Amino acid sequence: MPGYLYILVSLALFFIGTTGVLLRRNALFVLMSLELQLGAGSLALLTFARGLGDQKGHVVAFFLMALAAAEAAVGLAVVVSVFRTRKTIDLDGINELRN
Amino acid sequence: MNLMLHEPSLLERSAFIVLAAGVLGFALVTVTRKSAIGALMALVGSFCALAGLYATLSAHFLAVLQILVYAGAIMVLFIFAVMIMNRDEDNPIALRGLFLRATGVIATGYVFYRAAWIVVRERQSDVLSTASTLPIPDYGTVASVGRILFTDFLFPFEAISLLLLAAVVGGVLLSRPSRPSDGGGAL
Repeated sequence: MPGYLYILVSLALFFIGTTGVLLRRNALFVLMSLELQLGAGSLALLTFARGLGDQKGHVVAFFLMALAAAEAAVGLAVVVSVFRTRKTIDLDGINELRN
Repeated sequence: MNLMLHEPSLLERSAFIVLAAGVLGFALVTVTRKSAIGALMALVGSFCALAGLYATLSAHFLAVLQILVYAGAIMVLFIFAVMIMNRDEDNPIALRGLFLRATGVIATGYVFYRAAWIVVRERQSDVLSTASTLPIPDYGTVASVGRILFTDFLFPFEAISLLLLAAVVGGVLLSRPSRPSDGGGAL
């Protein structure tokens, strides 16, 4: 299949992820939408790697995957910690630094 | 797999359409779902379909890793977090500040529309049409990606192992319940 179709899928996936990050107020769903965005980025990297015939894009996508794992671990730890102290993970309810 | 040398066959077309529809459909379910477990299962489906798309790009190593790391390890982390905070949202889409958020969504939608327009306009270019055959026979296999990983990218590889170690230690420290005797503990 031509590469531009893959890029269009990647764009659409990134847009869905962005919509989730902007609209959802539960921190868990925001983290899930972030994972979708990272997946879209990997897909674009692999598509361009295929188009250029260069495997370095695969290596960068591999690093992106490790980065996503680290991000999920720390992000979920932060969310769990906030839930322990505040009993909520509603992002609109966490506004102690306001005022 | 030599899928860009010739006009794509019916099998390649239908595989791409099914996988792309799976990725986008499951992603939509993930974003709109009320229950966290339902959204997580849709996310697993989306990542598995994404791994299929990687495989059609002859990125076999990354396709296997996608299933192992995303659909396996990261999903287990998410399921643990959901089990700790087991409550559904009352109304998934926030009404307060909806105007601001809707403006943001419309603005990003416009940006993505323009980006898609550029991609479609440039679809005949060398990179995006990918009319080339596979550059090397073992493109995207574990052996050839691993060779690059352990020669040109050895230092980033070691650095990322340090980053993962830091993430593990940070995750344990942050999610540990704070005892009063700790003098506050984390956060």
